[in-house]
Amino acid sequence: MKKRWSAIITALMTCALVLGLTGTDTFVTDAAEASEAEKKILYVAEDFSYASLDAHKEYYGWMTSLYGLTETLFKMGDDSSVEPWLASDAALSEDGLTWTITLSEGAAFSNGEPVTAEMVIRNLQRAAEVNARFAYLAEYEMEAVDEQALTITTPSVYPTLQNDLASPELAILDLDNTTDYDNAPIATGPFVVGTFEPEGTVTVAKNENYWGGDVQLDGAVFYYMQDDNTKLAAMQSGELDCYTSVTAAAVEIYSLDPDTYQLTVIPATRLQFYILNENTLSDNVRAAINLTVDAEAIAAYLNGTVSATDGPFSSSTAYGQVVKAAVDTDAAMALLEEDGYVRNEDGFYEKDGEELSLNLYYYASRSLDTLAILMQEQLKNIGVNVELYAEEDPDATYIASGDFDIALYCMISDKAGDPYYFIDSTLRDGAALNCGGFESEECESLINELQYETDTDRRAELANEIVQMAIDDNAFGYVGLFNKTTVMRVGVSGFAETSPFDFYAIDADTDKTVTE
Amino acid sequence: MGKYIGKRLLQMIPVLFGVTFLTFLLLYLSPGDPAEKKLKAQGIAVSDEVVEQVRQEMGLDRPFLVQYADWLFDALHGDLGTSYKDGRSVTDKLAEGMGNTLILSLASLFFSLLLSVPLALYTAVRKNHFSDYLIRFLTFVGNSVPSFLLSVLLIYFFCIQLKWFPVITKGTLQGLFLPMLALSIPMISRFIRQFRAEFLEQLSQEYVTGARVRGVKEHLILLCNVLHNSMMPLLTIVGLSVGTLMGGSVVIETIFMWPGLGKLVMDSITARDYPVIQGFVILMAVLYVGINLLIDISYRVFDPRTQSV
Amino acid sequence: MTSKSKAKKRTIFFAVLAMILIVVSILAPWLCPNDPNETNALYMKAAPCRQYPFGTDSLGRCVFSRVLMGARTSVFSALFLVAVTFLAGSVLGMLCGYYGGLLDAVVMRLADTMLAFPQMVLAIAVAGILGGGMGNAMLALGITGWTLYARLARSQVLAIKKEPYILAARLGGSSDVRILIRHIFPNILPPLLVNAATQIGVTMMGFAGLSFLGIGVQLPNAEWGSMINEARGYMQLAPWTVLAPGGAMVLTVMIFNYLGDSVQELMDVKAQ
Repeated sequence: MKKRWSAIITALMTCALVLGLTGTDTFVTDAAEASEAEKKILYVAEDFSYASLDAHKEYYGWMTSLYGLTETLFKMGDDSSVEPWLASDAALSEDGLTWTITLSEGAAFSNGEPVTAEMVIRNLQRAAEVNARFAYLAEYEMEAVDEQALTITTPSVYPTLQNDLASPELAILDLDNTTDYDNAPIATGPFVVGTFEPEGTVTVAKNENYWGGDVQLDGAVFYYMQDDNTKLAAMQSGELDCYTSVTAAAVEIYSLDPDTYQLTVIPATRLQFYILNENTLSDNVRAAINLTVDAEAIAAYLNGTVSATDGPFSSSTAYGQVVKAAVDTDAAMALLEEDGYVRNEDGFYEKDGEELSLNLYYYASRSLDTLAILMQEQLKNIGVNVELYAEEDPDATYIASGDFDIALYCMISDKAGDPYYFIDSTLRDGAALNCGGFESEECESLINELQYETDTDRRAELANEIVQMAIDDNAFGYVGLFNKTTVMRVGVSGFAETSPFDFYAIDADTDKTVTE
Repeated sequence: MGKYIGKRLLQMIPVLFGVTFLTFLLLYLSPGDPAEKKLKAQGIAVSDEVVEQVRQEMGLDRPFLVQYADWLFDALHGDLGTSYKDGRSVTDKLAEGMGNTLILSLASLFFSLLLSVPLALYTAVRKNHFSDYLIRFLTFVGNSVPSFLLSVLLIYFFCIQLKWFPVITKGTLQGLFLPMLALSIPMISRFIRQFRAEFLEQLSQEYVTGARVRGVKEHLILLCNVLHNSMMPLLTIVGLSVGTLMGGSVVIETIFMWPGLGKLVMDSITARDYPVIQGFVILMAVLYVGINLLIDISYRVFDPRTQSV
Repeated sequence: MTSKSKAKKRTIFFAVLAMILIVVSILAPWLCPNDPNETNALYMKAAPCRQYPFGTDSLGRCVFSRVLMGARTSVFSALFLVAVTFLAGSVLGMLCGYYGGLLDAVVMRLADTMLAFPQMVLAIAVAGILGGGMGNAMLALGITGWTLYARLARSQVLAIKKEPYILAARLGGSSDVRILIRHIFPNILPPLLVNAATQIGVTMMGFAGLSFLGIGVQLPNAEWGSMINEARGYMQLAPWTVLAPGGAMVLTVMIFNYLGDSVQELMDVKAQ
C-alpha cells in the first residue's frame, strides 16, 4: 500500500517537473544564438517603455533617442556643450532674435530621402502641436532659406534655443513617408525599428543607409525591466550586455569581477536637494541645519550612486562654481544656543519648554528615503529632533502647500547644458518649487538678466551669483548629484556611458566584440 | 433557481455602481493628477501654465461629478475610453494584461492542483505519520515566505547559480516556469491543508468504513468515493482562489517582467490613469461577483440548510 | 480521544510560543543590544559578530536590534488589525444573518463592493490621501478584512437560526440581544476564531506586500517586510540583512499558522 502511493506520487511529481522543465536543454540565451549567426546584437535593459515610438509626443522621444532611432538638430556633448548633429551650424543675428541654422551635408532618413530645411520646420511645428511642453515653438517664426538652411526668429531674445533643439522630443522624422508614427516612424538614426511591443520589448536593426557612416552593431534588443534585482540577475546570467542606473548594491557585486564587467561612473544631472522653510524656521535654525547636513557622509552611505555637491550643477561646468560652508556641528549648536535654545534632559534643544522638533517630508524614490534617514540621524546628533513623513506625490502635497520645515526633492537640474531652467523653476518668485519662502529682489533681477543674456560666460557668472545667494540665505541645501553608473560586459563599448544625459545610449559606434 | 440568479445579477448593479464611484472618488481625492504625472514623468519641472493647459485638454478641470457622469455615460454605452497616459484603448490594454495574467494564473492553478491533490490525499491517508508531518511542515513554510523574497530566492538559485532558466521571461514556456512556481508555492501550501481537511472528513464517513468492510480495494475507495465526494468543496476552495489570482500579482509580475493585470493597474495608479483603473475595477467586480454567485448557487444546490434563505 | 488530547497539547505548545513572541515584542526596546536606528558608516554591511549578532545593514544599523523592534510593529499591528476586523465583521455578520432584510442586503452588498475592490487601489489611495505610515496601511488592509468574518458569521447564523434551541429561547421570551449573545455567538465562535487565528499570518504577509509597494511603516522605524524589501539588493553581498528579518517573519507567521491549525483541530471546525 505504502509503496504504491509513493509510486503514484513520484510519478505525478516527475510529470509536473518534466512539464516545467521541457526544453531546458534547448535553453540558450539569445546572445548565444546570435553569436552562432555571427550577428552583433546588443542586449539592453531600460527602466521605461512607452506605448508609442512617436518621438514628438510626451517623453517618447527619450526612448527613441536611446534606441538609436531618432536624432535631433543638435546634440549635447559629454561636457554639456552643444554639438552639431543633423545641423552643422547655428548663427545668431545682430539683434539676437534670428537664428540661421545650416543642416549637415548628406543628412538623410533611413529611406534615403534627404533631410530638408522645410521638413525640419514641419517637424518643429508638429512637436509644438502635439506636445504641450513645446507649444512655445508655435510662437516662433520659421522660414526655409533653401534646402539646407532655415531661420528661426524668436519674439524675444532666447539664448538657449540650440540647447532646446537638442531635446530628444524635437527629433526629425520623415513626415511625408511615415505612415505609422506609433509603431514605425521613419527617422535618421543609425538604427531602424525591428519589432515593437507597446510597453514591452523593442528590437532595432542596423540602418543600412545611415547618413553618418557605417553602423557597427547589427541590432539591439531593449528589454523593459524595472526591478533592479532582476537586472542584476539577468546581467549575471549572461542575458544582458549593459544597462545604466546601476544600484549601489549591484555596483559592489560587479566590481568584484572586473574581468567580466566594466563600470563607468560619471556625475550626472539629477539633483537631490532639500528646501528649508523660511516661514517656519529662523535664520539661525536654517543655518544650523546647513552646517550639520554632511553631504560627503551621505554620499559615502549611498555608496557611489551620488556625488556630494555644493551647488545644483556639476562643479565641472562653468556655471557650477559655488561654495557652501563646510560642515561644522559646533558652530551649528552655537547658532541654536544664540537663538535661545537650551538642551533638555533628553539631549534635545528646546526653547520656553518646547522641544525643537522639525518635520521632514520626502517621497520614497531616488534614494530620498535613505537621505531622510541620514539627515534625521545627523540632526539628532546635534540635538535637533526630526520627524519623517512620506508622501506619495510631493508636487501635489507638500510642495504645493508649502507645509513643511524641511522638504526633500529630486529633479534633473540641467536638462540641456544651461543653468536657466533650474534657476527659473526653483528660485524665481512664484515658481512651484520655490515653496519655502525664499525671496530676494536682487536675485529676481539677476534671474531676469540671465533669461536674456546671450554670452555664455556672462550666463555662467550670473548663475553662480544667483545660486550663491540662495545658498547664503540658507534657503536650500544641495546634497548630491546622482551619478550615471553604467555597467557593460567586457567587449561592449560606446553605450553613451560618458554622457551625463539620460536620453543617449547606442549610436553608430556602439560595438560589441563577440567573445562567446 | 432562475429567479434567484436573476435577483443576484440585479444585485450586481449597485455593487458595480458603488465600486466604480468609490474608486473614482478615491482617485479624485488623492493628491496628484494624470496631467501632472504625465508631464513630469522624467523628473523635468514643468511650468504651472503648461500643466493647467493639459489639464483642460484632458477635461480634468471639470467638477468631479461631471467627470464621473461623463465616464459612466460612455461606460454604459460600452465605451471604456482611452488611457490618459498613452491614449491606447482601455479595452485593449486590459485584454492584453488579462491574457498574460490568464496564462500565468491558469498554469499556476493547474500546476498547484497537480501537486496538491495527490499530496493532500497522501497526507490524509498517512495521517500523523512522519511524511504527513513533513509535508505539512513544508506547507507551513511555503505559506509564510513573502512572495518577493521567494521570487528573489528562486531567481538567485535557478537563474544565477544553476542557470536552468532565463531571467528574462519573454512569454516562453521556460520563462513561464519560475513566475508560475513563485505563484504556486503559497497556493500549493494552502490547497494541501484545505484539501487534506476535506479528505479527512470524507475518510471518517461511514461509507468508507462500510466499503472497507466489504473489502473494496483501498485505492478504489480513494479514487472513486473520497475524491468524487470531495469534488464540490474542492471546487469551492479553488473558485475562491481564482478571484485572487485573476487580479494578478504586482510583485511577481514586476520581478519577472510579466506584463499582466497587476502590473498594469499598479502603473495606472501611479500615473493616475483613471480610465484604465476604472476598467480594471469593473472587470474585477464582475469576476468576484460572478464567482461568488457560482459558489452560492452550488451551496444552494448541495446544502439543504440554506435552501429557505 | 488521543488525537483530541494531542491537539490540545499542540495548541498549548504553539500558544506558549506565540506568547513568548508577544512578550519579546513588548520587551523589545529593553532587549536591543544597540540603537536600532543608529547609522554607522564604519560598520556598513558588517558580518554577524559579538557586537552585532545578526550583522549590520547597508547603513550600518544593527540588524538584530531592528529585527527585535520590527517584531513589535509586525506582530502588534497584525494582532490589532485582526482583532478589530474580527469584532467588527462578526458583529455585522451576526446582525445580518439574524435580522436579514434591508440591513442584510446593504451590508452584504457593501461587503461585495469591498471584496471586488482591488486592495492595491485602496492602499495607494489611502496612502495618497492620508499619507504613508503603519496606521494607514492597517486601514488599507482593514477595509477589506472585515468582510471575511461578516460573510462567515452570517452564513453560520443562517445555518443555526432555525435550530430548535434558538426557537425555544425565543419562545421563552429571551430578547434578541440575549439570544445573539448567549445562544448564537458561542455556537458560531469556533469557526470565526479559527479564521482569525489563520488571518494573523496572512495579515503579516499583507503588510510585507504593502511595504514592497512603498506603503507601510514610517521611517526610520523597523518593520520586517520593509527590512526585507530594503535589503533585497544585498542578498548576494550581505545575506544576513535579508535572512534575519526573513527568517523572523517566516517563523512568526508559521507559529501563528500552526496555532490556528491546532485550534482548528481542537475545535473540530473547518477554516474558510
